[in-house]
Amino acid sequence: MTASHLVTLVPSLNDARQHSWGAFMCAENREKKVNGRTIRLLQHDITLLEGVDAFVFYAQHDLRLGSGWGNAIMSRGGPSIQKELDALGRIETCQVVVTGAGELKAKHILHAVGPRFQEANLEAKLKKTVSEVLAQADKAGLESLAIPPMGYGFYGVPLPMTAKVMVDTIKEHLESHKDSKLKDVVICLNDKREIAPFESRLSALN
Amino acid sequence: MERSYKAQKVIDRLGQKLNRQVVGSLVACVHCGNCTDSCHYVLANPDDPTYAPAWKGDRLRKIFKKHFDWTGRVVPWWVGAKSPETDADLEELKDIVFGKCTNCRRCTMNCPMGVDFATFNRLTRGLLVHVGIMPEGVAVVSKDQWELGNQMGVLKEDYIDTVEWMSDELVDEVGDDKAAIPIDKSDVEVMYTINPREAKYDPRTISDAAKIFWAAGESYTMPSEGWDMTNFGLFSGDDELGGTVSRRVYEKAQALRAKKVVISECGHGYRSTLCEGANWAQFDVDFVMESSVQTMLRYIKEGKIKVDKSLNISSYTYHDSCNFARSCGMTEEPRELLNLVVSDFREMYPNRAENYCCTGGGGAMSMTEYTPQRLKSARVKADQLKATGAKVVVTSCHNCVDGLTDLIKHYGLDMEVTQLVNLVANSLLVEKAAEVPEAEHAVSTTLAFAGRTILVVDDEADARRFIATVLEDNGATVLQAVDGDEALQMMRDKKPDLVTLDLSMPGKDGGRVFEEIRNDSELSGARVCIITGKPELRRLIYERPVREPEGYINKPIQEDVLVSNLRRILELTNKAA
Ligand code: SF4
Ligand code: SF4
Repeated sequence: MTASHLVTLVPSLNDARQHSWGAFMCAENREKKVNGRTIRLLQHDITLLEGVDAFVFYAQHDLRLGSGWGNAIMSRGGPSIQKELDALGRIETCQVVVTGAGELKAKHILHAVGPRFQEANLEAKLKKTVSEVLAQADKAGLESLAIPPMGYGFYGVPLPMTAKVMVDTIKEHLESHKDSKLKDVVICLNDKREIAPFESRLSALN
Repeated sequence: MERSYKAQKVIDRLGQKLNRQVVGSLVACVHCGNCTDSCHYVLANPDDPTYAPAWKGDRLRKIFKKHFDWTGRVVPWWVGAKSPETDADLEELKDIVFGKCTNCRRCTMNCPMGVDFATFNRLTRGLLVHVGIMPEGVAVVSKDQWELGNQMGVLKEDYIDTVEWMSDELVDEVGDDKAAIPIDKSDVEVMYTINPREAKYDPRTISDAAKIFWAAGESYTMPSEGWDMTNFGLFSGDDELGGTVSRRVYEKAQALRAKKVVISECGHGYRSTLCEGANWAQFDVDFVMESSVQTMLRYIKEGKIKVDKSLNISSYTYHDSCNFARSCGMTEEPRELLNLVVSDFREMYPNRAENYCCTGGGGAMSMTEYTPQRLKSARVKADQLKATGAKVVVTSCHNCVDGLTDLIKHYGLDMEVTQLVNLVANSLLVEKAAEVPEAEHAVSTTLAFAGRTILVVDDEADARRFIATVLEDNGATVLQAVDGDEALQMMRDKKPDLVTLDLSMPGKDGGRVFEEIRNDSELSGARVCIITGKPELRRLIYERPVREPEGYINKPIQEDVLVSNLRRILELTNKAA
């Protein structure tokens, strides 16, 4: 690949600040401080992010990486990640496991099994999953973490619900966990149309 | 018994999805049976009433009557009103709407009451997908398209590498730097969008199209994202996926300020992007969209490119894709174009809007659990093909290419499948800026495999010998294995750069060997090119029990296809290393 394509492909968070491409968003309503820590929105390929300790993958119960982001993790990260997962077996909804990130830029991947396909108590389960992600991030001593729009897309969680639960839960966590080392929580979005619901939720925070 | 949670969700969702058109179709059927014989599934299974369009339609109609129509509330026994009660009922419904219909809409044409069964078959698929009930292949492909932006899980770097590689090849071939394929160039006339199958397994269609754009002097670009014009939302019935995918194409076209989006030859991609997408996405499209068939035809008519039909020497017939012809009325342009680039064209009957489905439509290629019934229903198409007496079937749809390829193997027809873009490129008359001498070609091909070790796995000595000879002639060191166990051992001992693996071997078949390779931590990174025509391949590509193969080649093997495909795999490995 030529250099110019690489730039749009793998900007580090710092590079992206200057980038005109629009991937990085630092407008007022796309970034909020909570307890001196940042929650912010970014439109990017989550598996290619640089400058975050870890990112979250919305996993399957049997921990097979499978298609979608799982495919990207497997192809870009190498076989070690699936191997680690195989040793962990199976997890239940709202549980989270942590692995290395193979050859990817991040150091860890948090594999979280959230609710899917209109299952009962969707919102409560989603909230519990996001809380568990943050708890595991603290346990691993992470300072920065990228989270995709949890459950939105293939798993059919409505986008407004995802935005509300994520923004609120992250905020609550950062407020109530004074000992958390997390300084930077990135909500990493895939499509432009995903931005607005997160923006409005974020700007509603006080 | 209490209704299952999912069954209730399906019923609730149906209530939200009903509109006048659907209700009209649901209540209009008078069970006259006119549509029955129009369906290829019925023709191949004359004794099985569960394939009849009206019977299949009644599965949804019963739910509608039970919950949303007054007749079902007043006289449910009379109108056959019935709810799905259990998850097993939903699974049964899944096997009907995904496994017994390709949404080809042929029955619609033959219904005097205007019942569009395919529309509510799609709707029913959507209801099931909403609660997570769908064939595994549909899940895999949908998730890829949601998250990676294309339905074959092609990563951005692989897509760009492939385009750049085809670009380099083309520049070499025509000896003109201006033939290079632009990526993300703005303020162009044309943004060219493709089917991910092209980037993954059939890159020649990309370079063929690029050659035509170059010869026509077109100002065009390929986009770095929003390049996949296919849309699995059409097949899965998920309008939200449909909207998300088409919006990516539209937004990219606007960002590049392209005046026109040209859609490569793909029936469902054309229908989704041009006809349905703006509605799903609620998007205000302010640019033109057209099929590459129209683009190529215009180039010839306007004298922008010159073609010589004597360069395509075989006999040809044309298969109308259901989405292209029946749903979008694109029937004459492909024929006009085909007649400009071949001299021996033989019409297939019935044709145009009356044509039979390739039997791989509606996402059927990805649903490998239904492969046997798909291939059984393909007898209708096989008979149609055979009757033409043509050696080559041309189609303007990538899905049809795969569907037809599978059935040609299955029914042992002596035919090949190709697309208009390949025929136009092949008949193109271009003034080469600098003729590349033959000798140089030979050198560069030799260099392609020099220093490479390739393991050829095939139980047939003839096939092994053929592949080995071609590869050795091109500079490779060739290892040979006659079965899976020997192959695995050799891979461990010799660590070849690439493995060509035959799928149909006695004993441990190639599919299992491939899965073992991928599940073995020492071997999982190996580059594997599958050699086959077997439908088992579709399972590896769509269901992906393990990471998919790097490439595949159909048997009988053509030498140039073998060399160019293996070069692509090795070349891209080089870059990544
Ligand atoms: S032709 Fe139309 S009215 Fe007759 S059975 Fe078929 S769908 Fe019903
Ligand atoms: S849409 Fe096609 S496959 Fe489906 S019932 Fe009608 S004719 Fe048969």
